[in-house]
Amino acid sequence: MDFEALWLTLRLAVGTTAILLVIALPLAWWIASGRGAGRALVQSVVALPLVLPPTVLGFYLLVAMGPLTAPGRFLIRLLGHPLAFSFGGLLVGSVLYSLPFAVQPLVAGFESVDRRYLEAAAGLGATPRKIFWTLVLPMARASLLTSAVLTFTHTVGEFGVVLMLGGNIPGATRTLSISLYDLVQDGNYAAANRTALVLVCFATVALLAIYLLPSIRKQDGRQADIVR
Amino acid sequence: MEGRPTLSGSLLQVQMRHRVGGLALDIRFALTQPWTVLFGPSGSGKTTVLRAIAGFVRPDDAAIRFGDCVLVERGAGVFVPAYARPVRSAAQTAMLFPQQTVAANLLYGSRWSSRPEEEQALADELLGLFRMTGYGQRMEDELSGGERQRVSVARAVFAAATRDESTLLLLDEPFSGMDVALRDQLLTELREWLLKRGITVLSVTHDVGEAFHLSAEVIRIADGKVAQQGPVEVVLAEERRRLLEQLRGEQISAVKQSPA
Repeated sequence: MDFEALWLTLRLAVGTTAILLVIALPLAWWIASGRGAGRALVQSVVALPLVLPPTVLGFYLLVAMGPLTAPGRFLIRLLGHPLAFSFGGLLVGSVLYSLPFAVQPLVAGFESVDRRYLEAAAGLGATPRKIFWTLVLPMARASLLTSAVLTFTHTVGEFGVVLMLGGNIPGATRTLSISLYDLVQDGNYAAANRTALVLVCFATVALLAIYLLPSIRKQDGRQADIVR
Repeated sequence: MEGRPTLSGSLLQVQMRHRVGGLALDIRFALTQPWTVLFGPSGSGKTTVLRAIAGFVRPDDAAIRFGDCVLVERGAGVFVPAYARPVRSAAQTAMLFPQQTVAANLLYGSRWSSRPEEEQALADELLGLFRMTGYGQRMEDELSGGERQRVSVARAVFAAATRDESTLLLLDEPFSGMDVALRDQLLTELREWLLKRGITVLSVTHDVGEAFHLSAEVIRIADGKVAQQGPVEVVLAEERRRLLEQLRGEQISAVKQSPA
């Protein structure tokens, strides 16, 4: 079992989730409250990683980060090294690859909030920003949890983008799923099995969290009612 | 402009043309009294007018101003968003924020967050006025429908009262479905309370009794137009006569039916 790969995978997943929540909250709110062609276009672009082969996304990112393109050359000059084949490059790839998993649950959650609450708040003089933080987000908190958990687990399990973009550098870009692939190539099935089990555990715990937490919270609420 | 209300010094001037469903609204009026009631049958467009003033409806063509503030001026492309208007409103459905207590709901639109003692005193005062003393810590699902409606109105009143600038309060059927004795007491006290603070009110009702009890100015809306505007005794005289006749008829038939 490759603990260095486990540690790297966790860092990647936590980093990706944190970055994506910051990006996805405003993006999802914009999609949920927008309409027209602009909204459809943004939605399609956000959903693209769901249908594209990860290798295609990885390939274009590799090209974009490399010395073949102007932005790539600019990045190399800025950082002093290519972004590809580094942890930073992996982070950028993961953020794009997991974007739909972060955004789509939030859009669904925001859209399910009754507009009449937002109107009531605006009628009390609340700014859109205040309405978002005090009403929309608390009302959609279950989808915030779903978004975070899905992003985290999806990043833990990603393979194609990592392989294309990061290669297989221990401590920098070798994640658990890559390590698993390596172990099988070497014929080390015992170690491969342990690695695979860890990945299964991640996924199971994450799904349990999504399905269990809301019902626990509901019970808490009921007990609070009785106490009061 | 031709046809524009020209009453100088009026508080609110509304001129709007708007199509909703099969109804073509062509509304012009200006408020002259601190409490004015929009009166008309359901489906006559009263709520749409209120929502346009609040900023939730973009009229096809409109010029709406309150005092010196231009809220909507279609020709000049002005449309002030709802939250930035000197207007506070309560819709017909209570829509209390379900994750918050009654007290938190009341304080939601407060402008006095830097003065917590005064805020608390005002909350207590309004809870008392609306006959809800001791309800501050309750949640929405512990209230009856009528109680929710009272909190919703109190919440808008709170938001209006904590503004330093002059404010227009819009109330859509604020006391529909409330028992009449309580409603009449509440209306009288609320009217006094708001008058003292210089808050202008435009409310919607289809209840003749409510309009009379407020002794308000009445704007009668029919077929998408302002049919009449004036003191309640004048505008709703016919409705009142019919209502009294009906009442007398019921009394007579009750007397006839009772065994001699």
